[in-house]
Amino acid sequence: MSTLAHDAVRYAKKPRGTSATAVLLLAGAVALLAGFALPWIAPSKLAMSLFAQALFDALLATSVGFLFLQNGRVSFGQAAFSGLGSYAFGVLVARNLVGAEAALLVALLLPTALAFLLGLVIARVSGVAHAMLTLAVGQALYEVAFRWRELAKGDDGMSFDLPARIFGVSARGLQDPAVMVVLAWSILVIVLVGLALFARSRTGMVAAAIRDNEERARFLGYSTTLPRALVYAIAAFVAALAGVLQASYNGYIAPQMFHWTVSGFALIMAIIGGAKFIIGPAVGAVALFYIKDFAGQVAEYWPAIVGGALVIVTLTMPQGIIGLADLLWRRSARR
Amino acid sequence: MLIQVLNGVVYGGLLYLLAVGLVLIFGLREVVNFAHGALFMVGAYIGFSVAAAGYWWGGLVVSVVAMAIVGCALDATVFRALRRQDPMVTVLVTFGLLLILETFVTAVWGKAYLRYPMPALLSGTVNIAGSPFPVYRLFVIAVAVVVALSLTAWLRFTRIGLYVRAASTDARVASIQGVNVDRLSLIVVGLGTALAGLSGVVAGPLLTLSPTMGNYILIDSFIVVVIGGLGSFAGAFVAAILIGQIHNLGAICLPWAATILPFLLMVGILIWRPAGLAGSRA
Repeated sequence: MSTLAHDAVRYAKKPRGTSATAVLLLAGAVALLAGFALPWIAPSKLAMSLFAQALFDALLATSVGFLFLQNGRVSFGQAAFSGLGSYAFGVLVARNLVGAEAALLVALLLPTALAFLLGLVIARVSGVAHAMLTLAVGQALYEVAFRWRELAKGDDGMSFDLPARIFGVSARGLQDPAVMVVLAWSILVIVLVGLALFARSRTGMVAAAIRDNEERARFLGYSTTLPRALVYAIAAFVAALAGVLQASYNGYIAPQMFHWTVSGFALIMAIIGGAKFIIGPAVGAVALFYIKDFAGQVAEYWPAIVGGALVIVTLTMPQGIIGLADLLWRRSARR
Repeated sequence: MLIQVLNGVVYGGLLYLLAVGLVLIFGLREVVNFAHGALFMVGAYIGFSVAAAGYWWGGLVVSVVAMAIVGCALDATVFRALRRQDPMVTVLVTFGLLLILETFVTAVWGKAYLRYPMPALLSGTVNIAGSPFPVYRLFVIAVAVVVALSLTAWLRFTRIGLYVRAASTDARVASIQGVNVDRLSLIVVGLGTALAGLSGVVAGPLLTLSPTMGNYILIDSFIVVVIGGLGSFAGAFVAAILIGQIHNLGAICLPWAATILPFLLMVGILIWRPAGLAGSRA
């Protein structure tokens, strides 16, 4: 490795010193603690349940956004990994093939490993062709889940009962909104802090350098394939978390979980929230979830409202909600 | 066997009509139009309404003209406003348009499946190698061939065609050379969506109409465009015929894997040639 590259990484790191990391960790800890208040401030079980589902969306959107932010790759098939997480967990638990803990482990590691392998191959392709390739991966899994009736009843989807205990505690809590909302919140906070730390780490910076100019990064002596695949794997892991949480909360899996519209919606959430920020997609997901919920109540034709909102948001604030907030913040700070 | 090959060509022809519209729009605006399948579907519904009144050929004309106007409006309002954004943002906007169009059609025509009538002129069958073959399917092939030939002639031998090819290669350089890319793109996007409307009407009698009828064929058209090489007209033609055959023969020989075969082909080809069969850019 050249010293130049070393310097580049070191200098890039310098302005954001340990104090920024401390602030990040502190904010994470505060957010984590605040999560335990959620069941008390939420007005009803329904509100908690809705928020928990918004958080599942937030995890998936974070996964798509992270891939875009760190790799510069747009995925139209991130539902492949969340769906695979759901299916692996659902099928293993429903058939009692392994213990609940092992099922959880497989459900998280299988999509991660698959994404790593795919990342080695398809991450080389960029732009639109990459979006289409990921779309193909997601749709291929959708077709498998749809047609393979023996696996999980194909199109009908399959309900399954959670095991009695998982990691020594009652698994029933996974289907209780009050427990799930805290769990999902905590996982989301930990994921966001973890991703932010990764982005600051050496590997994260190398990944960002590859995103900006792969050729130059290669000239500097970095392997470009491995960091890309690593980012892929991390993103898939986050998606798998969303999938497992969703499957265990609903006790139900269906091929729709793989569908490209799910991936498309995740991308929309990321863009609405602001894909240039790690926290953006999660904010966008929660916002879009409530817009969808509200539109679904007032009108039968909610998809048009969501579509219209999307068109207006991208036309008026292309940097997303967080991008707009960031802009306003900077402006007021300058004064 | 020959009949099966011909059926594959029919599906390939439909895919070509959609894919070439995608290629046109991508060339000028660098946008993969996710609303293309929805435009195909809207075109089919408009044609259906006129055809139900007894004017099948009128439905064809009305649908093509209406979709051309929709396309021009789309370009003038959305694509032009977003031309300085990351193309991916625009792609998502087309996804939003897809939602709006699907909801619009559901509101107007309902969710129920509708049967598109067949024109009386084309409702018979002919004997091909001893087996009957619907005339209508030959008509679909003929439409695709006529569109392919006239489009190629237009692009090769007219001044506007030259401009389109130039702007598709590099829109900025073309505009420096004095080509009005915005006006050009109005024509090209209008033409692309008109072709989506045309293929919607032509496909109508072969499929059943539903608000989601465009989704499946859209994915196949994406595959065609990517395999052919983004922005390549000849590549789209070859890939459409190829996918048409694979789609049909797969359904007969390997029914359990038929829907996955096009995806596998695409993954294989992109690993072998990341820019597609005839593409120069990734």
